[in-house]
Amino acid sequence: MDKRTNQLKTVAYNLLSVAIVALLWTMFAAWQNSPYFPSPAEIWKAFVGLATKGDIEGVSLSAHIWASLVRIFAGFVAACVLGIPLGLAMGLWPKLYNRTRAILEPIRFIPPIAWIPMAIVLLVGFGRYVFLIWLGAFFPIFITTLLSVTRVNPVHVNVAKVFGAKRSYIIRKIVIPSVLPDIATGMRVGLGIAWMCIVAAEMIGGEMVGIGRLILKYAELLRMGEIIVGMLVIGIIGFIMNEIFIMVENRLFRWRSEVSID
Amino acid sequence: MNTRKAKIQVKDLSKHFGELVVLSHMNFDIYDGEFLCVVGPTGCGKTTFCNVVTRLLPSTDGSVTVEDEPVNFKKHNIAFVFQEPSCLPWRTVWDNVKIGLEIKGYSKKDIKDKVSEVLELTGLTKFKDFFPNQISAGMKQRVAIARSFVTEPDMLLMDEPFGQLDTSTRFHIESSLVKLWERKKQTIIFVTHNLEEAVYMSERILVCTPKPTTIKKEVQVGHLPHPRDITDPEFVRIRREVTDLVRWW
Ligand SMILES: Nc1ncnc2c1ncn2[C@@H]1O[C@H](COP(=O)(O)OP(=O)(O)OP(=O)(O)O)[C@@H](O)[C@H]1O
Ligand SMILES: [Mg+2]
Repeated sequence: MDKRTNQLKTVAYNLLSVAIVALLWTMFAAWQNSPYFPSPAEIWKAFVGLATKGDIEGVSLSAHIWASLVRIFAGFVAACVLGIPLGLAMGLWPKLYNRTRAILEPIRFIPPIAWIPMAIVLLVGFGRYVFLIWLGAFFPIFITTLLSVTRVNPVHVNVAKVFGAKRSYIIRKIVIPSVLPDIATGMRVGLGIAWMCIVAAEMIGGEMVGIGRLILKYAELLRMGEIIVGMLVIGIIGFIMNEIFIMVENRLFRWRSEVSID
Repeated sequence: MNTRKAKIQVKDLSKHFGELVVLSHMNFDIYDGEFLCVVGPTGCGKTTFCNVVTRLLPSTDGSVTVEDEPVNFKKHNIAFVFQEPSCLPWRTVWDNVKIGLEIKGYSKKDIKDKVSEVLELTGLTKFKDFFPNQISAGMKQRVAIARSFVTEPDMLLMDEPFGQLDTSTRFHIESSLVKLWERKKQTIIFVTHNLEEAVYMSERILVCTPKPTTIKKEVQVGHLPHPRDITDPEFVRIRREVTDLVRWW
């Protein structure tokens, strides 16, 4: 079978699984028959309402999405800007990491939510969002970068060394190309975690826009339809971003053995 | 023969990995422009020897000098064909082969001419735009060989470079290597398991003992003219001599 039909088949199966889950959901909702377990049809209705008329305060769904995207992007970029160079530096000079390990590693295990009070005390406004999202995205990016540097194939380094390459050449032409695919994977994981932090970040941001804020608003009203719309929007946008990321990775790192899971 | 100038001097060289003694008090000279083969049982330390000679690994004791000083990659023009796969996976065949020239700062035009020539020699021209994951193991080995030839090194180390090649390609590249050497007279250290290959190409064969490794015997082959005839009685005699030496591994 050629590649094209194979891809179409994969898409078809994915659509089928979505349809099956929607069907099961409908049946379960009918059986529950409760306002706290809306059916897909009711969720759709909530979605249309949010998209056309906006939320209870008249803020449109696209405004919510845009606000969250900007915050995610800012936090994620901050995580990359700090995580990648720091990971590279600590990978190239392992002493730097070994001697600061006792500070770095414990921070990794503190959940972003636990930082909320600190964030409220220390930061205001946009800084709070960026900080919480940065916290989530930073460590996967930093750690994968660090580890990938230590795993550069020594033979590849020796190839350049024997020809008389300087250290800067080895870093630019051997280390960096070796670690780029791993950094990309770290970034992809970091982006996923950034999305996972958005609700926590928007709990304290103060503004009334953002997908996380939307969920919180309707949580107070116990309106499950809108809450689920918010959840699905996060899931779907995250999914789309991840797919785009993978496509770019596959294009850039064509030289790697086919990266696929089937 | 011993009036020749020594290019590489190995003095009382030892290498230990913790408790494991791999190289033990080795002493010998490699002459300028010599084609030297090293044969020895698997795991005896041939790769370790190459790494210590080039100072990619530090020695435990003793010294190795090139032209009376420690190896310096920026000064001595060296190339090394590693035993393990060493193609850079993110570079095409062409870009893999040119890396040495790139590091040594050759002009674009020189790089183009030299790389084309060596790809032709190793039969890789058609695959110049392929990435290493798209070519066979033998082709990857040829990329590594091409990469070492193209910089025209004064000192060439080859650690079992022909292991993955079929007989005809191997013969072809062996002959090219000998021709190249006859023309340029580089100093070559060639590690192999293949005794016939050693007798076919080299001037001198060092036969190593198992660990802790020293040199069991030197066999002179330099008096056989190139291209060598593998059915020549003297060729057969030398091959038998080397085979007898290794029979006790
Ligand atoms: N980095 C290392 N740490 C510890 N022991 C090592 C290391 N490198 C090699 N050795 C040991 O040194 C010995 C010699 O290894 P080496 O790779 O030099 O053998 P070799 O002669 O090249 O073998 P082969 O013909 O199979 O390639 C082996 O016993 C090996 O286990
Ligand atoms: Mg070896």
